Amino acid sequence: MLKVQFFWKRFYATILPAMWVGVMFFFFGATVYSQERELDIGLRFQKSINLYYENGITLQYSDERLLSKRLFIGLSYVSSRFGTAMGTNAIKQDNIFISGTYMFRPQRSLQPFIRLNTGYFTASYEYPVFDVLPQNSVLISPETGLSYRFGFPLKIGVSLGYNLITGDGRDGPGTLYPLFIQTSITWNILSKTQAYDTNL
Amino acid sequence: MIPIFRIFLLVLIISGCNKEPDITDEMLGGGVIFDPTFYHPEQFLISYAIPNPTPEQALTPVIIASHGYSATTFEWNEFRQFANSRDDVYVSQVLLGGHGGNYEDFKNSSWRDWQAAIILEYNRLLEAGYTNIHLLGSSTSGALFLELLSGGHFKEKPAPGQVLLIDPIVIPSNKTLSMIHIFGPMLGYMEVDQSAEEDKVYFKYRPEETLRELQNLLNKVRNDLEKGFVLPPGTSLKVYKSVKDPTADPVSAVLIKRGVKTFSGNPVDVEMVDSDLHVYTRLELRPHTQADKQNQINTFNDIIERVLNE
Repeated sequence: MLKVQFFWKRFYATILPAMWVGVMFFFFGATVYSQERELDIGLRFQKSINLYYENGITLQYSDERLLSKRLFIGLSYVSSRFGTAMGTNAIKQDNIFISGTYMFRPQRSLQPFIRLNTGYFTASYEYPVFDVLPQNSVLISPETGLSYRFGFPLKIGVSLGYNLITGDGRDGPGTLYPLFIQTSITWNILSKTQAYDTNL
Repeated sequence: MIPIFRIFLLVLIISGCNKEPDITDEMLGGGVIFDPTFYHPEQFLISYAIPNPTPEQALTPVIIASHGYSATTFEWNEFRQFANSRDDVYVSQVLLGGHGGNYEDFKNSSWRDWQAAIILEYNRLLEAGYTNIHLLGSSTSGALFLELLSGGHFKEKPAPGQVLLIDPIVIPSNKTLSMIHIFGPMLGYMEVDQSAEEDKVYFKYRPEETLRELQNLLNKVRNDLEKGFVLPPGTSLKVYKSVKDPTADPVSAVLIKRGVKTFSGNPVDVEMVDSDLHVYTRLELRPHTQADKQNQINTFNDIIERVLNE
C-alpha cells in the first residue's frame, strides 16, 4: 500500500507535470518559431486483444522544428470508463501517456507511422480485500500503423500496439494486456484551410 | 519485395515446425498412463460408489471436486484423504472430459466436453437421490462452474448449496494466452516445465487447440461477468485466491466479486490467501513450506465447515 502511495506521489509530483510542460512548451513555443503548426485533437478508440475497449481523447502537435513536421508529440487519455466498463461490471482502468510519432511521407495523404508511448496505468478494484494486489503500472508501448489525412483538417489513424510491460497480477495489474489496436479521429484546430495534397 | 518474401519464408518455416510433441510412455498422454477413474470409477465418484444411497446417505453433503485444465483427479487427492478421515461428507472426484487419457483425445476436446463430465456426475447424484450437493473447483473448473451458473443451468434442477472456487481462472497470469489465436497455429503445442512425477498426472504438452478452447471459455466467462449474474436461491459462492498465483491472475477474483451476486443481491465471499502457488490446496509433488501446509488445512476446514452448515 505504501509502495502504491509512493508511486502516486511521485507520479503527481514529477511525471504528470513533466508531460504537461513538454506539451505546452511545444504548443506555445511554436507560435514564436513557426507558423506551420499542426495540433490534432480528437478521439482515440483502443481495444486490447481479448480484453477491454478503452476510449478517450488524444492530441498531437507538430511544427517545422520537429523534423520538418515528421515528428508529432502527443498526449492521450483512454479509459475503460468510456468503453467496456460503461454500464457493466468490467474493471475501471485509466491510461494516460505521452507519445512521439514519426510520420513517413509527410506531404502525402496516406502516411505510415511509428509511435512510442509512455505513461501510466491505473485500475480500480474497489473492494478493500483486493488492496493487496498491484493496481498501477508504467506504460511503454510501440505502435505502428497508417494515418489518412483528408482534404480538410480531419485525420484518421489506425494502428497496432504492443505493451512491453504487462501485468501478471504479481508484479503488475492483471488487466494490462499486451496487444491492442487503436483508431483515432482528430481535427487539426490550427488549420488555416491550407490545401492538402490528397495524393496517396 | 524482398522483405515481404523473407517474412513469408519465416512464417513458412515456423508453421512447418514439428507440431507433434515427443510424449514418452512415462507421461500422461503417452497411451500407457491413464487417470485411475478410467479403471475404478467407484473409488472416485460417489454416484458409482454409492449408487443407491440410504435416506441418511442421501442427506450427506457430497462435494463434487473438479480439477483444472491439463490436470487429473490427482489434484484433489489430498482433499479426499482429508475428508475420508470423517464420515459426515462425501467427496466425488470428477475427471474433466478429454482429460486423463490420450494426447489426441485431449487435443480434440472442447471446453464443453470438459464441462460435460461435471454435469454428468451432478445429474447422476440427483437421480440417485442425493439432495445436498456442492461444487468445489480448481482453476479452469472455476470458470466451468461460473459458465454453468451464468447460463442458468440450475434453473430446472436443484442447485448446488456451495460453489467453492480455488484459484479460479478468468484472466491468465501469462498474457501470451491472449494471443493464442494469432500465434497458436504456428506453435502447435506448449511445453510446461514440471517434474517427471508431475508428468504422470498433468499433461506436459498442451495442444494449441485446447489453449484456444481455454481462451474461448475465459472470454465467455469474462463477458458473462461483465454483464453480471445472480446465483440461484440457496446457493453460496466463495473464492479462495492465492495472492501471487503464477497461472491464474489474482485479478480473476476481482472480476468474480464484481460480476456475481447472491440471490438476495449481496456480493460473494472472497478470501485472498498469502501464497505464491497456483491451486495452493495441492501440495503433493511440489516443494512447499509450513505456511503452505497451513493454508491448505485452513481451506480444507473452511470447505467442510461451509458444506456442513448448509
